[in-house]
Amino acid sequence: MNSRFINWIWHVRGSLALAPEQSGDDAFERLVPLFRQTGTSHKRTSDSLTFRKIDPAAQDKMSVFDGGVLRIEQGVGGEVLHYNLTSRALLFCFLAPLLFLAFAQLTVLKGKFDKPPAETADKAEALKKAKRESAMLIQNPIDKALGAPAPEKPKKDEKRGGDRKASPKAAYIFAGIFAALYFVGRIWEARLVGSLFRKRLSE
Amino acid sequence: MEGVRVGKRIIGGQSPVIVGWENIPKVEGGPVKQFVFTWFQPTILFALIAFWYYAPNSIAKASTAIGIGIGFKVLLLAMEWAFPRHESWRLTWKELTTDLFYVGLGYTVLRLVDDYIGDGVMIESILHQFDWDKFSWFLGLPLLLQAFLIAFIFDFGQYWMHRGMHNWYPLWLTHSVHHYITQLNINKGAVGNPVELFLIGLGIGGFFDFLPRAALLAGAFGMAIGTYQHINVRFNSPRWWRYLFNTTEHHSLHHSQDFEASRSNYSNTFIFIDRMFGTCVDGEAELLGMEGGRRMSIREQMTFPFTEGWKTMKERFGRTTAVPAE
Repeated sequence: MNSRFINWIWHVRGSLALAPEQSGDDAFERLVPLFRQTGTSHKRTSDSLTFRKIDPAAQDKMSVFDGGVLRIEQGVGGEVLHYNLTSRALLFCFLAPLLFLAFAQLTVLKGKFDKPPAETADKAEALKKAKRESAMLIQNPIDKALGAPAPEKPKKDEKRGGDRKASPKAAYIFAGIFAALYFVGRIWEARLVGSLFRKRLSE
Repeated sequence: MEGVRVGKRIIGGQSPVIVGWENIPKVEGGPVKQFVFTWFQPTILFALIAFWYYAPNSIAKASTAIGIGIGFKVLLLAMEWAFPRHESWRLTWKELTTDLFYVGLGYTVLRLVDDYIGDGVMIESILHQFDWDKFSWFLGLPLLLQAFLIAFIFDFGQYWMHRGMHNWYPLWLTHSVHHYITQLNINKGAVGNPVELFLIGLGIGGFFDFLPRAALLAGAFGMAIGTYQHINVRFNSPRWWRYLFNTTEHHSLHHSQDFEASRSNYSNTFIFIDRMFGTCVDGEAELLGMEGGRRMSIREQMTFPFTEGWKTMKERFGRTTAVPAE
């Protein structure tokens, strides 16, 4: 199978036509400052530039990419810059929903194994529970005078433990968030790097 | 770099910092912007207190607090985008995604673990043994005092845990990961090794769940004050606010690349705890991080405490290679 079918997930490819008067050498000269960043190494030949980034700073404009190749080729209407950049951040974001779906399954599994606490018939326990519930109803006179609502006995489903029941909802929501983040990132970062190169070349 | 003497310490000898409130830049802009960014923080705090104080019992629930918390964070994210404090702290897609990954861990797998070995278990067992007659004095206190005490006790515990993390190597190993962040954004508080996130979450905060309204009010203190620790927005916080509460300024100094500056401002919500114990430094920093600002990948953040701890153990206790005598 052609790997291009799947590697678009973490590869960003594009091309930019150079201005008629701009040489390939001049184009690389303008782009090279982008690769003089902490953690970035690059190698230049006459028609290509290869770079690699290790732990780039958040302030690095290309921090989302780990490496890539920029190549200048002769096109129909003049010289064209082709780039092929790789991003593990995009790949991990693409896979993150699967991780959160796994967490959701884990939570469901936990719910199946956890048994609700048995209602105790112990008299001492019942007395303690009654004391706890009546203690929760105490209200200071100042709060009463200021109009704060009087405390109520908790309803059965709101009692301690009731709302703590493991729910996979959060994991499903985060799986959705990462799926959305992937599509936003894949489009947004491709556009950003394209406009960054375009700006540098025309400066 | 000369640095500034604060007590017995030289702050800013290794990395640029600003010390002293009078030296910190103010919000730039017209009178409306000045007004909004001066009164935003107190208004939100007092509005939340009033809301939780008077909300009917049917509304005063944890689910409402979660909803308000999420809405508040979205508002602050929008403010970061529209009014960034430092251009170098501007949130990028990669930073947002990384931050949200940690937020996601906190809401899912960490919560699962917490149910078995965290404070939830301890609290459950304490509540079980509790003598309620001996606790009625606390339950009879005015609501706001109860809420303040809950928030203060929790923050006091966090202060010492955090200070311990900066002073005891095994704890530092877990916390150091959080100090590799090079910018402050609204979700950066969630970034760290899961072991640290578990340790810092240990506390008796959840102990007061049985007092719903006081616990919700205490949570409002945390939300409307503590959240500003990691935010890329400049506020003209009123004098009394910055004297009592932790601010981005305080916390940016704590995250500075300057070692001495990072050993200050440990509290989460109430900076006066730092003032009480002599660890408060008023000031700010823009250049943050460790090792000259190296960004740590998520994979390294997960393994660093263990690999680094193993390296140290090998250095200390490992077999030394015999050097042949000449």
